[in-house]
Amino acid sequence: MDDPEKPSETECNGGTTRRRALMLGAVTASAIVSVRPALAQSAASVLNCDIAVPGPHGRGMHIDAYGKLVPRNTPGSFTTSGQKFTGEQVKAAMQGRNLPGTSYDQSQAYVNYIRRLQTGQSGFTCFASLQVAR
Amino acid sequence: MAAPQVTYAIDKDAALMIEPLDLMTAIYHRRSGITHIVAEPIPQILAVIGATPETADVIAERLAAVFDLGKDVDAATEIISARLEEMASLGLLGRHYA
Repeated sequence: MDDPEKPSETECNGGTTRRRALMLGAVTASAIVSVRPALAQSAASVLNCDIAVPGPHGRGMHIDAYGKLVPRNTPGSFTTSGQKFTGEQVKAAMQGRNLPGTSYDQSQAYVNYIRRLQTGQSGFTCFASLQVAR
Repeated sequence: MAAPQVTYAIDKDAALMIEPLDLMTAIYHRRSGITHIVAEPIPQILAVIGATPETADVIAERLAAVFDLGKDVDAATEIISARLEEMASLGLLGRHYA
């Protein structure tokens, strides 16, 4: 392998070699960050991924103003249909626009639901990719 | 210690693409499709490893010929050894037992 770090001959002076100190760090300090393909792809596919509101885990439930899944007859909650919104629509909604086909309050509740998504829940990877792609 | 001696070598099948990016270096591991962003001393360690398996001591000696590793050779070798293990566990290096 080529080694760009090797000191040039001019650095050898009178028999003593001046070598650059290597930044070794600590035993426990990793010097490697791995970018896994799944995340790299999700960041690139923001426009194509979509988020169902709610995902399969909340089918038939309503969403309250805070974005929590609540029973159907909860006062002040919003009806849901499992409608899928694209990453681009969600991104626009997070910046103040309404999600398509929703009222202002309903859109806010849906966005709050999306913000609360956790790893493993449907739509989370898409939501996470929105955070990565800026 | 009676434990077998561990040696490390470049794994030709891994087909690494190494691209220096200013202070960091991106290493694309073709076999897994994973990109590793690495900092010093990883690229420098990789640069002194060939296809012949060598122990951490030998790799540290090679590095010491090029770089100043400080006065505590054992401590430096321990850190280099930890980085070699890390690279081997990620598939960036082959690990062999002599």
